Amino acid sequence: MSNKTALDLHDVQGNIVKPYGRYGFPKARYVFFGVRDGIAGRQFVSKLAPLVTTAAPWRPSNVGPKISPIPEVTTNVAFTYHGLRDLGVPRASLQTFPDEFAMGMRARRDILGDEGPSAPDHWDPIWRHDEHVHIMVAICGRDEACLERRYQQVLELAQASNSGVELLTGHRGPNGADDLPYQAANAIYEAGQPTAKEHFGYTDGIGDPFFKGTGAHDATLVGGGKPTGLPPETAAGWAPLETGEFLLGYRDEAHECPEAPAPKLLSFNGTFMAYRKLHENVGSFDSYLEHVGREFPEGKEALAAKFAGRWRNGAPLSRFPTEGEANEFAERWARAKNAINQAKSHIERVAAKQHFAELNQQFVAFDYQNDLSGGRCPVGAHIRRANPRSGLQYDQLLAFEAPGALSNRRRMIRRGLPYGDSQTERNDAGDHGIIFMAINASLRRQFEFVQQQWMNYGNDFRLGNERDALIGNHPVGPLGKERASVVIQRDQNDTKPPFFCNQLPRFVETRGGDYFFIPSLTALRMIGEGSIDPT
Amino acid sequence: MPNKSGRAYGLTTLCPLIGDQQDDQSYAAIIKGRLRNLPVDADSPWAKIPNLYMCRMFVLDDVFYQGKPAHEDHLKSKYLVFVAELHGELEPFLEAMWRVAEDSIRDIWEFCVAFKGVCSTGDFVRYIKQCQVETTFYFNGSNDESLAEQLKALYLKQELGKFVRDQQAHGKDPVQLQRAFSDFVARVEPFNLAGPTWRPGASDLAQAVIPSAGASPVSNRS
Repeated sequence: MSNKTALDLHDVQGNIVKPYGRYGFPKARYVFFGVRDGIAGRQFVSKLAPLVTTAAPWRPSNVGPKISPIPEVTTNVAFTYHGLRDLGVPRASLQTFPDEFAMGMRARRDILGDEGPSAPDHWDPIWRHDEHVHIMVAICGRDEACLERRYQQVLELAQASNSGVELLTGHRGPNGADDLPYQAANAIYEAGQPTAKEHFGYTDGIGDPFFKGTGAHDATLVGGGKPTGLPPETAAGWAPLETGEFLLGYRDEAHECPEAPAPKLLSFNGTFMAYRKLHENVGSFDSYLEHVGREFPEGKEALAAKFAGRWRNGAPLSRFPTEGEANEFAERWARAKNAINQAKSHIERVAAKQHFAELNQQFVAFDYQNDLSGGRCPVGAHIRRANPRSGLQYDQLLAFEAPGALSNRRRMIRRGLPYGDSQTERNDAGDHGIIFMAINASLRRQFEFVQQQWMNYGNDFRLGNERDALIGNHPVGPLGKERASVVIQRDQNDTKPPFFCNQLPRFVETRGGDYFFIPSLTALRMIGEGSIDPT
Repeated sequence: MPNKSGRAYGLTTLCPLIGDQQDDQSYAAIIKGRLRNLPVDADSPWAKIPNLYMCRMFVLDDVFYQGKPAHEDHLKSKYLVFVAELHGELEPFLEAMWRVAEDSIRDIWEFCVAFKGVCSTGDFVRYIKQCQVETTFYFNGSNDESLAEQLKALYLKQELGKFVRDQQAHGKDPVQLQRAFSDFVARVEPFNLAGPTWRPGASDLAQAVIPSAGASPVSNRS
C-alpha cells in the first residue's frame, strides 16, 4: 500500500495516527472502568462509540479533500483482555489474542524488568489487582474546562449503568493522594506556554514512525520511516514502514499479514498498546548530572545529551555534536518558527513554512553510519537503543537485506504526556513522571523486545549487560549501593579517554499500567452490539 | 580438522546406558536426577578439572520422530552424552579428569554399559575414546590458550575495568596515575597464573576471585 492509497481513517482510532500534543491538546485524563455486568458494559461501549475521535484528517492532506475542524477534546477507547472477556467477547475469539496481552503487563514483569522499586508492589493501587481494569477512556483537551465537560459526559454514561460499569479509583496524585478517580496528565508549561518537555528537561516526542496509508505529510517520512542506505539527510534516505507494523490486518515488514485476533472484523484496523506510568526521580537525576557533570570534560549539559542522544533542546547529537552547535540550531529554529507568524504575504508565509520544515527535519534526518564508535551519539544512548536505525549493520554495509533489517520490526508509536509537577520541588518523592504509551501490532515483538533486549540489556550493541542510562533498571549491590556503569565512548581518533558514568541510580520507576487492545471503530461498535462471532 | 581448533579440542561422546531399573526407576531416570542435583558454579565437580573450558552432560532418550513421510527410527539404547571443550590433547585431559573427579565420574557413569570394568586412569581413557564420536566442525568459542591463561585474562579484564572507573574520580595527574597503575599491577600480578585470578566455575563476581598466594586467605563463603 503506498501512502497515497488511504486507509479508511474514519475506522481507525485517532490516537494511533495523531500525536494529539502537536495539535494543541496539552491536557489529558486517563479514565478506567471495570465491567460488572456484560449487558451494561456493552451499552456503555455503544454510547461511547459516537464520542470516539477517529484518525480522519483535521488538516488538508494529500488524501481526500475533507477538512474537519480540530475538536476541543478527543476521546479514545481501549480494552484489556479481561475487559473484552467481561463484555462478552466469545471465548473462541479471546483465545486468538496474543499470550502477552492475555497475561497483562503485571504478569510480564520479569520480561519488562519491573522489579525492585519498579515492582508491582509499588504501583498505584488501581494497578495492583488481578483482572481489575477493563476499559480505558483517554480524554485529551485544549484546557481543563473541555476536559472536565467530556469527563462528566463519560461518567454520566457509566452512572446510567446502575453499577454495571464501575469507575475505578486508586490513582496516586499530589500530596499523598492515592485514590483518585483518573490519571491526570499535562504538558509542562514554561512562561505560560505548553512545551514538549518532560521532567528531566528533555524535549520529548520528536521521533514518530512513518507508515503507509496514513496520508501523513511526506516531510515526516524523513527520519520516521526506515533507512534505505542513501544519505539520511535527504528524502531518498527513507522509505515508509509497512502498515502492518502498527495496524492489524495489513502487510508488515516481514511481508506477511501477521497473526491477528479472530474474527478479522474484530482485529482489522485495531492495534495493541502498552500503557505505563513511569515515575521520574527528578532529584536523583539533577544531583547525578550536577556531580558527574562536573567531572565530564564537556560539562553537565553535554552529559545529559550523551544519556539521551539528544540535547535537552531536542537537537540530535549525531548532527549537532557540540553544545554551541545545538544552541545555535535552536535559535535558528525559533527564528524560523517566528518568521511564519511574522510573514506579511502568502508567498512569504509559504517560504517561511518551507524553511521551518527544512530545519524541523534536522531533528530526525540522521543515521549512525558515520558514528559507529559512538563518539558523537553514544552507542547506548536512549534514542539509539530505542531505534538503532541502520546502526546494527555495524561496519558491514549490505550485511542484511536492508540496512535497517534488525530495527524495522522493532519500531513503535509513542504517545502520552507528562504527569505531575516538578517545578515547585525537584525531588524524588514528588508525584511526577510520564504516562508512556507504546502502540504496535505486536507487544511481544516490538515494545517488550525493545524494553527487555535494548533498554535493560546491551548485548546487541556490544555493551554487555549495560542498561539505558535514563530508563534502565540499574541494579544495586549487596549493601544497597548502586553499581551500574554506563560508558560514554569517544570517537576512534579522539585522544580523550572514554568516560565512565559510575554508580548510576535508577532514574525511572514503573508505577503501574497494563496492556490494551485499541479496536477499530467497526470493532468497537460490534463489541458494544455483542455481535462478535469467531465462527 | 575434526575435533580440533588450534590447541582447543572439542570432545563428543555418547556413552550407552544399561536399559535396566532400580527401585522402580530406570537407570536413565536415576542419572537424570543425579545430573539435576549436581552442585553448580564453583562447587561443580567439573570445575576442578584442569584445562576444561566447558562441558555439558545430558541423557539422550531417543531420536525425534518428525512425522510422515519421515521413517520412524529408534536408538538401540539411551545415552549419557558428554561433550567437552578443552585445551590441549585428549589423553592428558582425561587422565587429569579421572584424577581430580573420580568419585563424581563413577556417580554419573555408574549405569553406562561396561563402565563397571573401569578401574584405572587407563581404563577411563580407553572407555571414553571408545564412546567418542568425531566432532566434524569444531568451532571454539574462545581463544585456544590454556584455561589458566583464560581465567587470568578474565580476572584482569574485570580488575582493569574497575581500576579505570575508580581512577576517573581521582583526577588526571600523570604522576599519581602512574603510581596508582604501578600499585594496580603489583596487586593483580599479570604474569602470575596461580593468583590472583578468577575461580574456575565462578559466576558471581563476589565469589570469583582467588587471591594471590601472598595475600591472607579470604573466605569466599561470607
